[in-house]
Amino acid sequence: MIMTTLILGLVLGGTYALLALGLTLQYGIARIMNLAYGELTLAAAFVLVALFSGLGLSPLAAIVLIAPAGYGVGWLLYTVMMRPLVRRSGASGRLEVDSILATFGLLFVVQGVLLVIFGANLTSISYLDRGVSVLGVSVALNRLIAFGICVVVGGGLALAMTRTRWGLTMRAVALTPGSAPLVGIDVNRVARQGFALGTALAATGGASIAMYQTFSATDGVIFTMKALIIVIMGGVGNVTGALIAGLALGLVETFVATAIDPGLTLAATFAIFLVVLLWRPQGLFGRG
Amino acid sequence: MLEVEGLTVAYGKHVALNDVSLSVGQGEMVAILGANGAGKSSLLGAISARVAARAGQITYRGRALAGVPQHRLVEMGIAIVPEGRGIFPAMSVAENLALGAFPDRARGDAAAQRMEVFDLFPKLAERRDQIAGTMSGGEQQMVAIGRALMSAPDLLLLDEPSLGLAPVVTQGVFCALERIRATGLTVLIVEQNARATLALADRAYLIEAGRIIGSGRAEELRNDPAVVRAFLGGASAGTS
Repeated sequence: MIMTTLILGLVLGGTYALLALGLTLQYGIARIMNLAYGELTLAAAFVLVALFSGLGLSPLAAIVLIAPAGYGVGWLLYTVMMRPLVRRSGASGRLEVDSILATFGLLFVVQGVLLVIFGANLTSISYLDRGVSVLGVSVALNRLIAFGICVVVGGGLALAMTRTRWGLTMRAVALTPGSAPLVGIDVNRVARQGFALGTALAATGGASIAMYQTFSATDGVIFTMKALIIVIMGGVGNVTGALIAGLALGLVETFVATAIDPGLTLAATFAIFLVVLLWRPQGLFGRG
Repeated sequence: MLEVEGLTVAYGKHVALNDVSLSVGQGEMVAILGANGAGKSSLLGAISARVAARAGQITYRGRALAGVPQHRLVEMGIAIVPEGRGIFPAMSVAENLALGAFPDRARGDAAAQRMEVFDLFPKLAERRDQIAGTMSGGEQQMVAIGRALMSAPDLLLLDEPSLGLAPVVTQGVFCALERIRATGLTVLIVEQNARATLALADRAYLIEAGRIIGSGRAEELRNDPAVVRAFLGGASAGTS
């Protein structure tokens, strides 16, 4: 029983962590609070379904295509839509409010397009939907593959952020953007990279969700909310924090669903969120 | 190496700098001396592209700096230690120094550069894993200067390095500047502490209410009665 909760919770948490990574990069590095994040995730999920059922492409091959496409979409969104806001805000705090309003609009645009193309029905694919025994617990193979993607992508990103000079640059901009130009860092370029990479992660997360979960065109806001909660729990811009907080949220949700009542998972999520906000607003792993 | 001509900086109607001209030659250490609010920081701000000039021209090695964004200056060889230091307080000393070597020009010799910085500030070597924001003001200033040196600059701009530091700490900072000076690096320093700065610099410009009111060789200025009265404080001037 405990083993089941643990393993299913970790598998769920892996997806959450991956979703939150993209948002934490966008908010932490590019300073853009992207309310349309969940919709971009969903768009990738629908694309995966279309590639799988339309063209017969294997979901794993599809993800290899979807991730760079997500980067491209993010790059374009930043250049066309966010850059003017950034330029206008200068050093003031206006960017946060402006980006929330702009991406709130984007949310409905993307949602509308998804509804027109794919309809409002629940969508899912049947891919490797058979149980595999993990330490005596039966887990669907498609979920395990999705978890594997999260581990590889999330772990790789966490290592890159802490061990490489590219990561050092990203963290420098996230932590102290005002000082970054003094060492020759082009903050706008790094912000665009961060936003594009965040969108690529959203797309990867969405595509891996589509491998095992049923979803509809109006689910985006739930993804955004959960990712946001994890980002705040892990500390804004903190990749390792987002990974740990994501896994923790998956565990708690699974535990509440199995031990108490599945209807309470969302309530439990927000309860944790409230406690973190009141007790450690800088995040569980934030400094100071 | 650096030429400033007819530079005027204004914030709305307030003119902070009025028609200021100066030059810094290769290998020189030049000081800008003035009281609080005289326009010293606006001058350095304009050179380092943080403040927009209303009129005038700044050229570095014959190239006009107008429109060059701040982050490009480091690549051109101009390193800045701004007022307030501009370090990365949430990162370790080692990470701050590593970021200092971010420009392409510094990548090749980062290790050698770091040895020099540690040689200059042994304390940074001892504290390399400490989070920079938890250090004392003087130590943070060392991080800021060390980080600027990591970019292998040709011109070092220092904005009030002694600001807010205790006298004994200030002395330490000036000792380090003296050793940097000995390496032949070109330095432009803005300071309130005229006595310590004039002891170190080759030349100085005196600035008051946004205008240059005098300039000359440091040893001459040290003995100029008018300068002694205005900038060095009459009583103790005889000892310097």
